[in-house]
Amino acid sequence: MKFDPVTLATPFFIITIVLEIVLARLGKAKAEYETRDTAVSLAMGFGSTIAGVMIGGVTVAATLWAYQHRAFSIPMTAVWAWVAIFLLEDLTYYWFHRLSHERRIWWAAHVNHHSSQHYNLSTALRQTWTGGIAGTWLLWLPLAFLGFPPAMIAIEKGISLVYQFWIHTEAIKRLPAPIEAVFNTPSHHRVHHARNPRYLDSNYAGVLIVWDRLFGSFEPEREDEPPRYGIVKNLGDFNILRAAFHEWIAIGGDLLRARSSREVLGYVFGPPGWSADGSRDTSTEIKRKWRARIAAAGEGLTPPSATAEPSLGPVPNAPTPAEI
Amino acid sequence: MSVAFLDQSAVSLVAVTLLVALAAWARIARPCPPLNPDRARQMLAEEFPDDRPSQVWVSADGQGVVARAQDKALVLFRAGDVYVARSASWKAVCETPAAHGLVRLKFGEIGAPEARLRLSPAVVWPPGV
Repeated sequence: MKFDPVTLATPFFIITIVLEIVLARLGKAKAEYETRDTAVSLAMGFGSTIAGVMIGGVTVAATLWAYQHRAFSIPMTAVWAWVAIFLLEDLTYYWFHRLSHERRIWWAAHVNHHSSQHYNLSTALRQTWTGGIAGTWLLWLPLAFLGFPPAMIAIEKGISLVYQFWIHTEAIKRLPAPIEAVFNTPSHHRVHHARNPRYLDSNYAGVLIVWDRLFGSFEPEREDEPPRYGIVKNLGDFNILRAAFHEWIAIGGDLLRARSSREVLGYVFGPPGWSADGSRDTSTEIKRKWRARIAAAGEGLTPPSATAEPSLGPVPNAPTPAEI
Repeated sequence: MSVAFLDQSAVSLVAVTLLVALAAWARIARPCPPLNPDRARQMLAEEFPDDRPSQVWVSADGQGVVARAQDKALVLFRAGDVYVARSASWKAVCETPAAHGLVRLKFGEIGAPEARLRLSPAVVWPPGV
């Protein structure tokens, strides 16, 4: 029998979603489920399994080919080998995930996972349909070149995916400090799904949060700043095709308008939000503006958002302010 | 595709349907009462922290907001139990016609093509003409 952690864990996924909904209904746990949002998340999870089968042949063939050209032969039966692949796979995941947020072509494949303004266990299943096309699976090939058997890599990837399911919840606040220090937890991952400027582009970890601490992308959750979930420009409806493909279509539109190879490269491989004329904001720019507002507030200046513009005066034919 | 995969897919579809039905039954969406001007301003400050809205209009059903910040229109509209924010040119918003008590503001982007705002029968659209 094929050992697939994700398939084996599917009943666990279903039972825990039921539990989260029922406990929230009874007021025993914090969780918010909007019906259409939940439908999109779960349908995307279902669709991702179909997409995975369609691209699966290519990824398996590539991994087998890499393994045939391996540097070493690493035994599946050795404990040290499992420890090694756990660490190396998790490191690979960290960089895959970071690339998926910081380069637009890979963000296009990943954005759907962040497109819900809710954060619950169903959000975990809002998985990509286009990850195979984006080619991020190539990042795992070095493990096969190194000599880890393809089955071992697949199992470890599955374990990581299953681990990451349960952290998509608001029902668990904080875990004991030693766990929060080492592992990715609901608290750390809530920050990752937040669109508050402070929290953007942080906590990319799969299982071990230590990678974020090591590479400078760690941001703790603050009591005084609850996460606001979603993406910088949230989707306007619950159209599943929009959730799956909107960033790809937006890239296509930008490429049609691009006037130089520099612009083409910027729109494909630049950070999300990059634009040739600077009319859009990247995460870096959003954070810079946020820091400037904080600094201005700290110097006693009134933050811009709290300051009223000089009155425009009455506008002919205008509706009563505060009502259309 | 193998028969086992098709069986597994069928079971998954049934599970998805049941879970969505459970979520609908539970009625645990985020509380989202109609917006009033104060709440609208608070949300505008969160969504557009670099802009300074001078005037704010809330739609008749409290599910949409248009605010003017110099030559920009700041728009909030409801999607389910949350709000979505977009900006457009104030001029373009003012040139958008209303019909049957409804105005459809176009944003020209795939992520949120338009916002539908319900107008009160007592007022004239557009707000800034």
